[in-house]
Amino acid sequence: MNQLFVAFITGLTTGGLSCLAVQGGLLAGSLENQLEQQLDQQIEQQIAARRAHRSGKNQLRTLAHPRLALPILLFLASKLVAYTLLGFLLGALGSVLQLNATTRAILLIAIGIFMVGNALRMFNVHPIFRYFSIEPPKFITRYIRRKAKNGANAFAPLFLGALTVFIPCGVTQAMMSVAVGTGNAVLGAALMFAFILGTSPVFFVVAYLTMQLGVRLEKAFMRFVAIVLLILGLVSVNNGLVLVGSPLSVQNLTSALFTRAPASQALLAASPSNTLSLSASNSGYSPQRLYALAGQPIQLNIVTENTYSCARDFVIQAIGVEKLLPQSGTVPVNIPAQVAGTIMRFSCSMGMYTGEIIFGP
Amino acid sequence: MIKKTFRVEGMNCSNCPMEVESIEDDLPGIKQVSASYQKGNMVVEFDETRVTEAQIIAAVVKRGYRAFLA
Repeated sequence: MNQLFVAFITGLTTGGLSCLAVQGGLLAGSLENQLEQQLDQQIEQQIAARRAHRSGKNQLRTLAHPRLALPILLFLASKLVAYTLLGFLLGALGSVLQLNATTRAILLIAIGIFMVGNALRMFNVHPIFRYFSIEPPKFITRYIRRKAKNGANAFAPLFLGALTVFIPCGVTQAMMSVAVGTGNAVLGAALMFAFILGTSPVFFVVAYLTMQLGVRLEKAFMRFVAIVLLILGLVSVNNGLVLVGSPLSVQNLTSALFTRAPASQALLAASPSNTLSLSASNSGYSPQRLYALAGQPIQLNIVTENTYSCARDFVIQAIGVEKLLPQSGTVPVNIPAQVAGTIMRFSCSMGMYTGEIIFGP
Repeated sequence: MIKKTFRVEGMNCSNCPMEVESIEDDLPGIKQVSASYQKGNMVVEFDETRVTEAQIIAAVVKRGYRAFLA
């Protein structure tokens, strides 16, 4: 029971904010569909109002409170159910379902491209971007339409909420690992349920504030959502690039531009042995740049102290290292000898926190 | 029973086709409507003795979209 309470509190505090950065795009996507349709309905009602020679003001008043709470709740409920099922599977099947860094990077890049494409669609850049919109299968839309006349918007937030299973943030992944560790399907499900339930208030509050903005600014809000989608998409693509250690990521491009000659004597003097120490805290890695001697194996000691952020899920893609660090403790990582001039990049599993080791003579 | 394609304007999101397809609830002569947001059209299979193209277009307009024979 205590474990479930800790999972809930973790979700309520760090989990909610951390996951919002990763999954916010999907939430925005579900709101966007709802808002677009309500705008259409508004236009339709205005046309009807003109035809009836009535004042348009009264019509607008009836639309002052678009029902955006429902898709948000559907999104969150779907997410809750999906993760509870995932927790069940993780508890039952163990680590088989864990995604490795490369798979996650591909997912991040694909999701990023999806978000950017959707943003361009909303900007009406070209009709081809309509293909980035998720169109539910006909048999489902037909079923929904016939079963629930008011349920026209149900599918998108439900589907998108469930999709978040494929883009867990670092904290969620940490919780997924705990679910695997339970080795019990029911406990795994309960753990993920408690955690995602904890993240839900943050999601709802942010969505609610966004909704208020949308009521006032309507079409401008659509632009706002498109811009947010565009930014989140680009961030997601960049995180994916970081995760695979691509030199094209923003961090690596800026690092390449501003890094001076590696390993000054003073820095080497500060770490004369072949043992390096790296702190992984809630705000990332420190120092972000380490200097090491080339030509000999290095031991990198990663220290955590009450660390709950995704910095706990440590990845060095170049040498295939991926470690889930304890919340507090020291974990050694052995790095084989590297040639002088090598820049070895490391990051958290979501590519959000980064750093590098520069090997000098 | 014939099948015709109509160009539909005004669909702005992936939920719009569902709204357009609901014209089959209004017009009994329609067997099936398949609208696509991506293609910006709808394919209607209907009994031309029971419903006309003009009625189909009017039903789409009633829902706030514009339709034209492709």
